[in-house]
Amino acid sequence: MKNRKKIATVWLGGCSGCHMSFLDIDERILDIIQLADIVKSPIVDQKEFPYVDLALVEGSVTCDEHLAEIKNIRAKSKMLIAFGDCAVMTNVTGMRNYFPLNEVLDTSYVNAISNDEGGESPSHPCLMKLNDKAVPLQEVVTVDFVIPGCPPDADTIFYVLQEFLNDRTPNLSTAHKLKYG
Amino acid sequence: MNTIHVNINNIEIPTTADKTILDVCREHKIDIPTMCHLKGLSDVGACRLCIVEIEGMNKLQSACTTKVADHMIIQTNTDRIKKYRRITTELFFAERNHVCSVCVANGKCELQNLGYQVEMDHVRYPFLFPQCEVDTSHPWYVMDHNRCIMCTRCVRVCQEVEGAHNWDVMNRGHAVRIISDFNTPWGESTTCTSCGKCLHACPTGAIWPKAIVQGQLEKKPEIIEELIEKRKMHDGF
Repeated sequence: MKNRKKIATVWLGGCSGCHMSFLDIDERILDIIQLADIVKSPIVDQKEFPYVDLALVEGSVTCDEHLAEIKNIRAKSKMLIAFGDCAVMTNVTGMRNYFPLNEVLDTSYVNAISNDEGGESPSHPCLMKLNDKAVPLQEVVTVDFVIPGCPPDADTIFYVLQEFLNDRTPNLSTAHKLKYG
Repeated sequence: MNTIHVNINNIEIPTTADKTILDVCREHKIDIPTMCHLKGLSDVGACRLCIVEIEGMNKLQSACTTKVADHMIIQTNTDRIKKYRRITTELFFAERNHVCSVCVANGKCELQNLGYQVEMDHVRYPFLFPQCEVDTSHPWYVMDHNRCIMCTRCVRVCQEVEGAHNWDVMNRGHAVRIISDFNTPWGESTTCTSCGKCLHACPTGAIWPKAIVQGQLEKKPEIIEELIEKRKMHDGF
């Protein structure tokens, strides 16, 4: 089939809850793959990010790696969808933004009661480097559509995918599918 | 009082001049979103959501603080009004730290419902992420400034209904904060009677009882008006 679309789902600074909700569309995933191939996803073994029609990106941009990744995704996606509250408005991942980064790291790695004195913040060059602030996708790239919700309902995710795959534009307000939290 | 006529959304409505535009709209089931208005309390026009267009006036007026006048022609839901309502709602979300998913009021929050009502799917402004205090010093209640939208319903209910005036407002602009007494911990208040009216008046998860967890908050803002009506009955005896 010529007109099959390509979908990618990506997990940046989030908890994967949005992907769990995506899997909750259950057997309706068969309806999706009638119209499209899922070519890159945590459930697909694919290393390089390919050119796609739709990219669903979960999570906020929290580190240098995410920033490079989201820019690459933007360049290779016809449509970029901010997927879930973290991607749309940072949500829980942004709760560290009220504090200086070193304070946040020290709270977990140095001053946590379970550390029994000692412990140091991880700084190995192989590790990703956290940015001072976690930001929503829209602050670093152009976002074409948003699905808010923590997580978005499976019905909402299916609705949005189905609309886009049939070349229609979903409207969450009129479909009564807006949700935060 | 003499009957006057106003025209709201092209419908002629007979009413009296002692009412606000919001009163008349609510009586006639004309939907106007509000946050700072709470039936029974005085109106301050703080949230700017009830803005309406009045013919002959350039500026949008708040329906809760503007009285109706004879032959007034009012529009409550034009594109211009909708645009400003959405902007206002987004600024509420951007100004402090509203994280619905971990909030006690999740699912029962007036701010969340407002977002759905004005069709806000995302916030177009950068989030300020201010460092706000959470005051847990009161034995039963918590004041979380992260979730406060400065509607001042708690301030007014405490002063006008309970008569304690524990709450007030400090500073201006984005530094504005609700304070207990003279900006001291709530638990040390000498004026608070721990009646809990502020908790029921609060539209978000800013004031909540310690006994509940995420998404479990049940608020009854309508009890404020009920209380006022019951007191009037007693005054009659």
